[in-house]
Amino acid sequence: MRFTLEVWTQASRDEEGHFERYDVDGIDPDASFLEMLDELNARLAAEGKRTIAFDSDCREGICGMCSLTIDGQPHGPNQVTTCQTFMRDFEDGATIRVEPFRSGAFPVVRDLVTDRSALDRIVQAGGYVTTKTGPKPDPNAAPVPPAVQQKVMDAAACIGCGACVAACPNGAAMLFTGAKVTHFNLLPQGQPERASRARSLVLAMDAEGFGGCTNYGECARVCPQEIPLDVIGMLNREYRRGARREDDTVGTRT
Amino acid sequence: MPAHDVLIIGAGLAGQRAALAAAQAGATVAVLSKVHPVRSHSVAAAGGINAAIAVEDDWRSHAYDTVKGSDFLGDQDAIEVMCAEAPAEVLHLEHIGVTFHRDETGRLDLRAFGGASINRTAYVADITGQAILHVLYEQLLRFGDRIDRYEEWFTTSLIVDDGGCAGVVARDVRSGAMEVFAAKSVILACGGAGQCFKPTTNGLICTGDGMALAYRAGAPLMDMEMVQYHPTTLVENGFLITEGARGEGAHLLNADGERFMERYAPSKRELASRDVVSRAEQTEIDEGRGVGPDGRGIYLDITVVPRRRTLEALREIVNIGRDFAGVDITREPIVIRPGQHYVMGGVRTDVHGRTPLDGLYAAGEVACVSVHGGNRLGANSLLDTLIFGRRAGEHAAARAAGTRMPRVSRAPLHDDARRIEAILARPAGAGRRVSEIKEELGTTMNRHVAVFRDEGGLRTALDVVRRLREEAESAAVDDRGTVFNQDVLGAIELGCLLDCAEAMVVSALERRESRGAQFRTDFPRRDDAEWLKHITITRDGDGAPRIGYAPVTITRWEPEERRY
Repeated sequence: MRFTLEVWTQASRDEEGHFERYDVDGIDPDASFLEMLDELNARLAAEGKRTIAFDSDCREGICGMCSLTIDGQPHGPNQVTTCQTFMRDFEDGATIRVEPFRSGAFPVVRDLVTDRSALDRIVQAGGYVTTKTGPKPDPNAAPVPPAVQQKVMDAAACIGCGACVAACPNGAAMLFTGAKVTHFNLLPQGQPERASRARSLVLAMDAEGFGGCTNYGECARVCPQEIPLDVIGMLNREYRRGARREDDTVGTRT
Repeated sequence: MPAHDVLIIGAGLAGQRAALAAAQAGATVAVLSKVHPVRSHSVAAAGGINAAIAVEDDWRSHAYDTVKGSDFLGDQDAIEVMCAEAPAEVLHLEHIGVTFHRDETGRLDLRAFGGASINRTAYVADITGQAILHVLYEQLLRFGDRIDRYEEWFTTSLIVDDGGCAGVVARDVRSGAMEVFAAKSVILACGGAGQCFKPTTNGLICTGDGMALAYRAGAPLMDMEMVQYHPTTLVENGFLITEGARGEGAHLLNADGERFMERYAPSKRELASRDVVSRAEQTEIDEGRGVGPDGRGIYLDITVVPRRRTLEALREIVNIGRDFAGVDITREPIVIRPGQHYVMGGVRTDVHGRTPLDGLYAAGEVACVSVHGGNRLGANSLLDTLIFGRRAGEHAAARAAGTRMPRVSRAPLHDDARRIEAILARPAGAGRRVSEIKEELGTTMNRHVAVFRDEGGLRTALDVVRRLREEAESAAVDDRGTVFNQDVLGAIELGCLLDCAEAMVVSALERRESRGAQFRTDFPRRDDAEWLKHITITRDGDGAPRIGYAPVTITRWEPEERRY
């Protein structure tokens, strides 16, 4: 197959970027998008030209490292990670635009590589269970019914890739944050900090410069882990629930 | 220069668990990782984690299964520690929010796994590694005031001073800046060396950095000949199909539609240990009963598992089958073959994670305690990372409490900076490309250091590895910049891979018997009289690998013939 690529090129965080055009041919339809870029890089290198920096590791859809915006869609046309996007999904001869994940909260490190540590700082505000010392309670003493287990599992499947942020017209991190809150607030072990968790995370989200949610739903449509939009409803409910509590501890780290 | 009581290289499960343990013991801690922690390769672990939690189970049964799985090469004192401490560790994970699968009544569920005499594997669908890694990282962030994180920093060497490890030199991947990190204790937790092979189930980052760093600093590697081929990797590209599939009841079928494992392991069949199953598959393929492209594969039939159960408990491989093989695994068999998956060997440690080099610890796949011996059981690797990560963290913190911060000179930094400048200054077009050399290494290892080995093939592999090492000295890099220069890292990683590969081949040549993952067609029997011992590899003054031996610790279980 043959493609024309318009690839975002940016030497470093502080420099201006631009699109660079490349023509590639002889691409195997079953090559993944990243393998196609490997091929392009190999050819560029052979010609002594500058190669394109992009992130990837496991290449089987679990590590959350790959992060390209392809023709305006985070991870490309299908609801999977970039490494699970195949060239057979594109028309032969197509022009494809390749950019990094776009969000004010994700500065570009180089070319297609972004810094997504803003997501970590949301979690740092309380997206965890505070373990107590002493003997651990028997997990079977607090059974988790299958329906709850399923909801928690769906939320905990988040791989932290940030596609939800890149897809959102507002640059919101609500799906990510909602997944963290849903995961912990539904579990017995997450109850001690339940009242404050949603508010702490939302404040951190705002402080990082993520936008607000206006129900576009783009996040859930691109999420490769198929995290349901419900987690945002859960986040909103838990946020209000926390606000009603008299012993509210807004913004404190538990 | 940054100085910490405990400095941890690598932020997968072993590294993060070590960091949390050391911080909770009161040490100042830094974690330094070449990738963002949740991208570490632990994330790809699928099937689960073993622990004798069930009321009818006993940790001694888990330990015996592990010893037998190791083909009696595992050190039984270390295996006892791991298995005895496993239940508490799994309960700890559950307590900090890992969503282990529960049954219809809401209780923890355990699945069957290879080589286990009872259902013993706690799991989170088939994304157990991801689920644990993210929850541990959340804990790491929680203790952010006590644990410094250096994310996307590449360690270029260990600093050895006065016969002990005193810190490391590292390069900031984003800026290219170099820094010296002083530390009272250093823990290597930077994973395996699967990229020595092509294909492999391992991620691109698994380049044996930690093994090479320790080896160059004078610490011995052990059991390096023991390389695990996983029985079920996709025939096209080597992607892992979790052992959980067979745990849920999937069958292996040859071209005649025969469930051939009945001949090789009449009692455990598909759930015999991985070395046994991979060897059986390779025998079927070699004898002309393979399926798929050129008959190089075997059918894995998951359609015998109820569809609803597959969609719930094996959801990741449903996606992998669909996306990468175009197969709906709930409706038709998928074609698999054995593929490189894990290195049982690594930096030699004791049960506290201590290497023979004072101040240097290792835990996880980079280390060799040895709990896996000749063959690791499925779902024991996550356990290994967590138990020995924690123990290394605790011991390193205790050691640091009674030690002064070493005075470290900046000379090693200048050495490494010069080494990197020399790589960048190599003339373009003069030598082979890094990617070409890595490709040749991977295909050579996969041909000659695989499920079946013999002297001729191993000698060929050794010649190739040594030639590639010379070629790597002049391999040109294309990117000469400082910001996020992946090329220069690739050149350094290639050097690490070649050191690891050489140690693997030399050890495999030395072990003139068949045990666990090492099957020598020229020495097809296990020979306890001669070879019930570990092979160690230490770097000589002139850079050549020197072979040594270490005894196998036997506490309860005398070697016996292995039957599944």
